[in-house]
Amino acid sequence: MGVEIKHKYTFKNLSKQEVWDTIQDPEALQAALPNCEVFEEVGDEKYKTVMKVNMGAIKGEFTADVQQIDKSEPDSYRLLVKARGKPGEIEANAKMVLEEIAEGTELSCEADVSTTGLMATVGQRMVGGVAKVVLGQFFKDIEKQAKQAAGQ
Amino acid sequence: MNNELVNVSITLNGEKVSAEVEPRMLLIHFIRDIMNATGSHIGCDTSQCGNCTILVDGRSTKSCTVLAVHADETEVITVEGIGTTENLHPIQKAFWEEHGLQCGYCTPGAMMASIDFLSQNPDPTDDEIREGLDGIICRCTGYEFIVNAVRSAAKMMNDDSAVKGEV
Amino acid sequence: MEKMVGQRIKRKEDPKLITGNGMYLDDMKIPGLLHASIVRSPHPHANIVSIDKEKALKHPGVVAVYTGKDLEGKINPVPTSWKVPGMDLIETKQYPLAINTARYVGDGVAMVVADSKYTARDAAELIEVDYEVLPSIANQKEARKDGAPQIYDEVPGNVAFKYVAGEVTDEDLENAEVVMKGSYNTQRVAPSPMETRNSLAQYNPGSGDLKLYVGSQNPHIHRMVLSEVLNFPEHKLHVKVADMGGGFGGKIGVYPDEALVSYASMDLKRPVKWVETRNEHFQSANAGRDMMVDLELAGTKDGKITALRAVNHANIGAYLATFGPGNPTIDFGLMLSGAYKIEKAQCTTYGMYTNTMSVDSYRGAGKPEVTFMLERAVDDFARKINMDPIEVRRINFASKEEFPFTNAQGLIYDSGDYVKALDRAVEKSDYHALRQKQEELREEGRYIGIGISSYVELSGFGPSAVAGAIGFQGGIWENSTVRVHPGGTVTVYTGTSPHGQGHDTTFSQIVKDKLGIPYEDINFVFNDTRAVSMGWGTYGSRSLAVGGNAVGLATDKVVEKGRRIAAHLLEAEVEDIEFEEGVYSVRDDNSRRKTFQEIAKAANFAWSLPEGMEPGLEEQTFFDPSNFTYPFGTHIAVVEVDIETGEIEILRYIAVDDSGKIVNPTVAEGQILGGIAQGVGQALWEGVQYDEKGQLQSGSFMDYAMPKANFFPKIEMEFTETLSPVNQLGSKGVAESGTTGSIAAAANAVMDALAPLGVKHIELPLKPEKVWRAIQKGGAES
Repeated sequence: MGVEIKHKYTFKNLSKQEVWDTIQDPEALQAALPNCEVFEEVGDEKYKTVMKVNMGAIKGEFTADVQQIDKSEPDSYRLLVKARGKPGEIEANAKMVLEEIAEGTELSCEADVSTTGLMATVGQRMVGGVAKVVLGQFFKDIEKQAKQAAGQ
Repeated sequence: MNNELVNVSITLNGEKVSAEVEPRMLLIHFIRDIMNATGSHIGCDTSQCGNCTILVDGRSTKSCTVLAVHADETEVITVEGIGTTENLHPIQKAFWEEHGLQCGYCTPGAMMASIDFLSQNPDPTDDEIREGLDGIICRCTGYEFIVNAVRSAAKMMNDDSAVKGEV
Repeated sequence: MEKMVGQRIKRKEDPKLITGNGMYLDDMKIPGLLHASIVRSPHPHANIVSIDKEKALKHPGVVAVYTGKDLEGKINPVPTSWKVPGMDLIETKQYPLAINTARYVGDGVAMVVADSKYTARDAAELIEVDYEVLPSIANQKEARKDGAPQIYDEVPGNVAFKYVAGEVTDEDLENAEVVMKGSYNTQRVAPSPMETRNSLAQYNPGSGDLKLYVGSQNPHIHRMVLSEVLNFPEHKLHVKVADMGGGFGGKIGVYPDEALVSYASMDLKRPVKWVETRNEHFQSANAGRDMMVDLELAGTKDGKITALRAVNHANIGAYLATFGPGNPTIDFGLMLSGAYKIEKAQCTTYGMYTNTMSVDSYRGAGKPEVTFMLERAVDDFARKINMDPIEVRRINFASKEEFPFTNAQGLIYDSGDYVKALDRAVEKSDYHALRQKQEELREEGRYIGIGISSYVELSGFGPSAVAGAIGFQGGIWENSTVRVHPGGTVTVYTGTSPHGQGHDTTFSQIVKDKLGIPYEDINFVFNDTRAVSMGWGTYGSRSLAVGGNAVGLATDKVVEKGRRIAAHLLEAEVEDIEFEEGVYSVRDDNSRRKTFQEIAKAANFAWSLPEGMEPGLEEQTFFDPSNFTYPFGTHIAVVEVDIETGEIEILRYIAVDDSGKIVNPTVAEGQILGGIAQGVGQALWEGVQYDEKGQLQSGSFMDYAMPKANFFPKIEMEFTETLSPVNQLGSKGVAESGTTGSIAAAANAVMDALAPLGVKHIELPLKPEKVWRAIQKGGAES
């Protein structure tokens, strides 16, 4: 396999359901994905997105198919991403688990990410770091939106 | 991609040259492809190997990772500018005498890097020379004879300046 | 006058190279020149569903775009050139551009030709390829297992070939006092010449000639093979090599890219250039090594090795490279017993297709791998029977009285004195004092290790009849023409193909000693299939042993013809003419004399020649040696391992090598030094990384650790000189010895340092992290 990425984020003072609702809302998702230009539903739990990434050697426009499976509201779901861009292709299979803790809700993401092209042959070392930054920004934005929705 | 051409003017080995080039053009391509100074070579594209090392305003620079526009109005010296077969620079003489080259591909870059290194450390130890060559990758020599060459060049240059009373 | 052979002569090649006057392929410009860029598969294994080239074709400056389908039926597959009889080889078709299926990351799927290299690369990015990804595999042992992804329908179990050399029975092992098993794998490395691969094809539609400049170690082999691939007659194909920035085996192979550039030039009737990027080099230049070897060693308690039985899983990549099948079977398999007199040896080789780049010869080609296996095993054996590793080697060496010595697999070694080289290395290193010091330092918690490696190399390729017997698709003799101009200067043509080795200098030394003319009056021509009638190139440490001797023999013929002319002009008997220092004279009356220059003029003018003699002074030799040459030596590495961090420092490195007669000690030392850097590089730092599916992860010098100047101490080296009886000079190969000896020396030193901590084995390269993990475990590899 490619790179294993583990990331945890704590949504402070938000319930599982509140986080779930936001993270499942296509509009919220589009707003939270960095430089996301297109985000359209193309089928049942299937989305097509176009986003721009510009981080060191990993730079360019990616077209991605995103699919959610094994949904068990509001506890967990699995996210399948297949993205294609000039620097190569990314295939990710992420298990997302929400858990209520004292401070709020903890979302843990465990993903298997494999890459091709320049991203694999030159950028492999950077994939983990870039993913961490992108995911960090993404969850922060989701948190902001969830708090707005929850009227906080 | 920005296709508008920009003017780049440099002093290349003492001669003023200029050309209209794409802003994304790399300095090494400007020197080799536009100005036909093909002595400097490309070895890795990612600035590890230093085969493209030249002097920009006196400092050794890996020209594969500098845009030509960045070098605008600078003074550039390449291997073609340091000596001729009739009048070799001490570093050239030393590389020849000490068998500091085999295929010769990395040699211009290695010599240019060494010139800058010796200007900062005119009397280096072998360990310092090895550290000083950190930006150069050579696949042929195993480096030892390059180290000998740099040491020998240092001695030649020091003797030379001693004679001239420049110490 | 003192002979030039044996002297430290400064190289003739250097003045142009140190002044920027070298002319490498990418330095060349030709009016109308087009630039090519190749689109490569990012997947290890995928069907090509469709390729959309419209956007690329519309891009300004683009002249043509080719796909595999476009070229179907127009260019033939690129074949291998080494088919060992009895290996049941299944050769699959490597089309210059994949037609239906891409089989490794880097497999070409399309080529763009445009008016500048920037445009070509821009347009390559506009080509959209729709792939259907297929199951894939990178590891050769996994590829042989049931249920492994199949790379070709016609290759069951992915086994390209199986070859067995020698026989060792179960009883041979069971009846032994000591039996030892171990795995000794040499990882995949990238040859990484500083100048990447390249080619420039120039078709002349008027004459119908195709001139191809190509980064090649063997232009005549390129001509022969490409003629077949392109359906283009050999006599119209002119292959040349410009100044070349290194090869190391990576430029032996005939590659798809060269065929593509040639085809495009013929199709477009314009010159086309292609220069590989470094990232491409990691994807699509032949790799080296990648052999996984399981060895059983049988011996006695008092140190005698009685049998070796090895199974070698050799990763040969997705397609067979030019010399690919020969390295593991012949160079490795037949050299299994190395410098030792071992009764029985058997090597079973599985050549395995995987979804990786092809593997071909890389400096040493099979011998570094087998030496690594054997020398690591000898050390393990020594440890097991509690004997000093020096002693075990001494007990098992073939002794100098036994030469020509026939090894366990039937190869006949020409000459050798293995004990002598070992003794010199022991003495030079002060081995026993080192052992003492090692003990003392251990008390202080410091871990130094002493690694010994005694190697013998199969070099100087070689006798052509043997080439035929082992299925090498060509001869391996060498050719030289010595052409004497009317003024007495000389142009020498050689079929070897130097690219840093300094043949211009060393071969001139040979000619100078024979003709007695000024060194400057000798000029060499090589790397040109039109100028040189035939030649087999530079690899296998063959250039001096075969090519240099051809030069010497052709020069002898010139001297002899000159002698007959001198006898005629001086009215003396041929037997009475002496030739020394460039002057022919009559014995006992050297007032009757003619200089070589006078004879050159007389021969070329032909006013008065012996009856029946043809005019001119030009001689050619085809030298087919009676045997290979077998250089040998002992290397000793001393390292210190920081057990807190796993970092390894090389404290000392001693190399004693025997390459027979040395023509130019400085040049020979340069070869040894460069070779050691590559061998130690393999042991400690270098490694091509694929994930288990075959996705390449080391695509630049940021990801692939090349050895640098500050990684090494000063190498302490010397030569012993045991002449080879199979050529006039008595020379053996020298270029691969450093690499062959050094992988095991470095690895053995690290293992020796870690032995008290219970560490028995770590896979190469011995990077600090792996070493540290092994120390933490205190046992087998993490």
